[in-house]
Amino acid sequence: MVKAHHVGMADIIVVTSPEMLITLGLGSCIGLVLYDQTAKVAGMAHIMLPDSRGASAKALEKPGKFADTAVPTLIEMVCAKGAVRSRLKAKFAGGSQMFALPGAETDFLAVGARNAKETADLLKKAGIQVVNSDVGGNKGRTVEFSTVDWMLAVKILGKGKIEI
Amino acid sequence: MDLRDFSNLQLDAMREVGNIGAGNAATALSVMLSRTVDMAVPKAELVSIYELSEYYGDPLTEVAAVFVRSDGDFSCSLIFFQAEEDAQALVDLMLMQQMGMGPEGVPDEMRDSVLTEVGNIILSSFLNAVNVLIGGAHSISVPGVAHDMMGSVLQVVASIFGQSGEHALIVDTTLAVGDLDRNVSGKIVLLPDPGSLEILFGKLQVL
Repeated sequence: MVKAHHVGMADIIVVTSPEMLITLGLGSCIGLVLYDQTAKVAGMAHIMLPDSRGASAKALEKPGKFADTAVPTLIEMVCAKGAVRSRLKAKFAGGSQMFALPGAETDFLAVGARNAKETADLLKKAGIQVVNSDVGGNKGRTVEFSTVDWMLAVKILGKGKIEI
Repeated sequence: MDLRDFSNLQLDAMREVGNIGAGNAATALSVMLSRTVDMAVPKAELVSIYELSEYYGDPLTEVAAVFVRSDGDFSCSLIFFQAEEDAQALVDLMLMQQMGMGPEGVPDEMRDSVLTEVGNIILSSFLNAVNVLIGGAHSISVPGVAHDMMGSVLQVVASIFGQSGEHALIVDTTLAVGDLDRNVSGKIVLLPDPGSLEILFGKLQVL
């Protein structure tokens, strides 16, 4: 039985092969995986919000909460476990909009799209190749990352499972 | 205001707001169904946003959720959510009571429309009572509906409160339709905007 780690909201967890990383019921949040196949190390961050500007010092104790703090912290943490920065690859999923209220002032409901964009931008800036991603839409996702075949399995209710 | 600085008196006041809102919502549902509707004692709790997705149990539970946004003196968001099978049973009851239709042959779009409208009426009734209590004016958005994993729905709540802090103020109560073979219940969850609480507490004189 392979050990599976549940990555809760705003958590960052790093594992070595063959352990798995799982996040249940992603809505607007992002499940971001960085991995190094040669070093057999992978880490997942469960990102809730796009940026930490204006956040309290207390909030910053959880760097996984914001995309702009999660990406550098995740890079640091996988490298501390033996990954080599230049070999890092990324896969991510999530960032959906669960509710749409036509005509209402609801920028806060579109946070998923901003999470996805911010994550993609930050990875680009850090020079990390995004192998694949599955973001947007209006359905929640459950994601499982395997450090055996390095695939991210994405399950959507009523739509089955895809692997990216 | 910082949610951590709440006094017991203020949490009691929130519970009472929940009580008054839910009472009106229960009455509305009871009239629509011509059945008794039982209401649980409301809770008002501060919950860590990081634990929210499991606050009501297994995050993978399939739920149907109706969401509305209210702007005005007391700005807030409200969710009415149910286990998916309860939502479908409620739709069956409503179709039978209001239109004399059995569950057969009703298209999914219409069932969804019924569910959204029931949720809308429940949440609007809740808000009306609260705004009468505090003498405030408000407007309500059109409702949005989702059928999904409970964890994903509750992430919406986490991200709303996450922008301003680490805790969510949740006021909730359960409505249950009476005199049925099976249990049909749903939860009303009130999510006040942190910035609107001072106004509410001022009007309730518990600031």
